[in-house]
Amino acid sequence: MAERETVIGAETRISGEIRGEEDLVIKGHVDGKIQLSQMLTVDKNGIVQADVDVRQLVVAGTLVGNIVASESVRFLATARVVGDLASPRVIMEAGAAYRGRVDMGDVDAARAAVASRSVAQPASSSRSVSAEATRERPAPPRVAQPPRTAAFATKAAPKFVAPASPRAAEVAPAVPPAFPRMAGTVGSAAPAWAKKKIRRR
Amino acid sequence: MANTVIGSSIVIDGEISGEEGITVLGTVKGKIAVAQSVLVESGATVEADIEGQTVTVAGKVTGNVTAREKLELRAESKMVGNAKAPRIVFADGATFKGNVDMDV
Repeated sequence: MAERETVIGAETRISGEIRGEEDLVIKGHVDGKIQLSQMLTVDKNGIVQADVDVRQLVVAGTLVGNIVASESVRFLATARVVGDLASPRVIMEAGAAYRGRVDMGDVDAARAAVASRSVAQPASSSRSVSAEATRERPAPPRVAQPPRTAAFATKAAPKFVAPASPRAAEVAPAVPPAFPRMAGTVGSAAPAWAKKKIRRR
Repeated sequence: MANTVIGSSIVIDGEISGEEGITVLGTVKGKIAVAQSVLVESGATVEADIEGQTVTVAGKVTGNVTAREKLELRAESKMVGNAKAPRIVFADGATFKGNVDMDV
């Protein structure tokens, strides 16, 4: 069959899980989870609120969620991204806005951490609580060493809480040097759904 | 218009909604509700309720289909579920099981 490129159009919204063995271009809105063995492109007007596990990732639009890319990640100048990121190659262009942790070490460990978290999703009501618990954690060591990847695998998991809107990404600093400061803003920026879950308990 | 295409190796588990047309070559489970046309190509599998202006099925659909204008089941297509549309076309060779409602 003549292979056609998979595109989520600008006027289309998908909530749920997307899996596949081919390239995917998102020009519209996707909520949930994306798992691809190839390249994911988030177009300039694309909005993705999902955990992403792909080979290559190119972001020109807005992405909120944890990222695992086994090959490379590229944030273009128009990108607005919030979430932890694990990939051996990370390219950020001038103008890209990003907030989160970067791990260029053991991608498999990071992937395992993401996988175990989504399996343990029922505990997500305690997710922001545990985020508070880890809030005072000191910044990770600067040099990539085995303990660091271990720390990412065990501690990074509950840390990330998405902000209320992608707009928050725009006011976020382009470079994320101040981890403690960032951690301070995480709790208050919990999205509506997270708050709802807590309220329900 | 930039339409949405779901490639043949893509599996979507969830809900698709939008204001434009969608072409499915892969697998969709859940729900499809769009303002324009829905095309389920041959080789595609849809286990979802479908809602669209025109719905054309050449692949396999399990679920209720509501087309505001026209539902077309091409030859080789397989559909199990209720069909609701003012105009329905069954091509020779199409397989269908379910209720038909043409608003008469």
